[in-house]
Amino acid sequence: MRHSHTAVIERDVTWNGTFETEPYEAGWASEAIYFVRILEKDGQVGRGHAKPQISPDGMHWRDEGTLMGFQESKEVAYVRVARFGNYLRLVGELPPGTTAKVIVYLTLKS
Amino acid sequence: MSANPKLSRFSPLSRIITFDDFDTGLNGWTNLVGNYEGSLDTMLPQYRDLRGPMLSNGTMWDTGSAGSWDGTYAMKLATKPTAGSLGVTVKRLTWRELGKIQLEAYVTFKPEATEMALSELDVRAFGFVFDLQDSKSRVMPHLRYLNALEGEQIGQWQYKSHLESLEAIGGSGKTKSHFHLAGDGWENLPGDRQLLCYNEIATKQNWHYMRMTFDLKDMSFAAFQFNDRNYDVSGMTPMMMPAMANLWCMLNLVFFLETDIDKRAFLSVDSVLLSGDF
Repeated sequence: MRHSHTAVIERDVTWNGTFETEPYEAGWASEAIYFVRILEKDGQVGRGHAKPQISPDGMHWRDEGTLMGFQESKEVAYVRVARFGNYLRLVGELPPGTTAKVIVYLTLKS
Repeated sequence: MSANPKLSRFSPLSRIITFDDFDTGLNGWTNLVGNYEGSLDTMLPQYRDLRGPMLSNGTMWDTGSAGSWDGTYAMKLATKPTAGSLGVTVKRLTWRELGKIQLEAYVTFKPEATEMALSELDVRAFGFVFDLQDSKSRVMPHLRYLNALEGEQIGQWQYKSHLESLEAIGGSGKTKSHFHLAGDGWENLPGDRQLLCYNEIATKQNWHYMRMTFDLKDMSFAAFQFNDRNYDVSGMTPMMMPAMANLWCMLNLVFFLETDIDKRAFLSVDSVLLSGDF
């Protein structure tokens, strides 16, 4: 049976400007989805973005290469990631004056 | 059991209730969230950002993956890089007979190796809690190893019977919450402090054995052992309060971890064995 796990990385956290999530180890998984559920928003969330980052040691990071966009009309945004090694985190930016209260999930599957 | 290498390093009571080897997944260990009603904003502030568990292969920047005691993965708690940040994980069971229960685990802790310094005073504390309820009381025996506090080495095992205030949550009258992991009210276990094998740089970590026995019959501490040290628990009283409405027969297991400085702290648990006399 394949293993799967959903980690709640952020809960009821308000983003504005740049943001980054805490690192998460996922070496056992071969595929991942970051979900961002927007609970409340103010401003132009659709002009923001987020991107997964990978790391050899959980301390030094670079972009994995995929991009998560937000849509004004959608409550849930997501980005799929594969072949990421052991460490994952999500970084991003909202335009000036925009805030979003979010829950971030990392859904992993072996 | 002595012929099984996975189990022979444990000393369980007569019946094994759960044996969690994190090479097979998180085995029911999950995030702890504060109680809320109607909105997440009703949660007590200290509960808002307790960091949950993950499966770790013990990777260090200088030596690569260490793996766990006897496999690749351990359950890891990581705090945020903010002094006082907590990582907490809980497994939720119920008991079926009022007798002795015993938690054994192999654990290790370390700060994130963000600097080439020994960093042995960066992790404030780690510990374990049983969260229990019988027909009269909710009982929460707490133990922690206070490694350091505000940069000073402590190295002392502590327990907590001090009650934190119980706050009403929301408006229904059904939900309450108390932040029992707060730093106040901890008392030293009897005996000298216990210094542990921290090792010589921030990326070397050694595993430790812990065993905590609690008697559900009279809700008292029965034994506590950490590595080579057996503590006298006879004078220790657990945290106790009147029974709550929806927690009958609760048997929860909790590990927690706290950082002393603005740096992530890590607690790894290789395996956990809960046993009972029934």
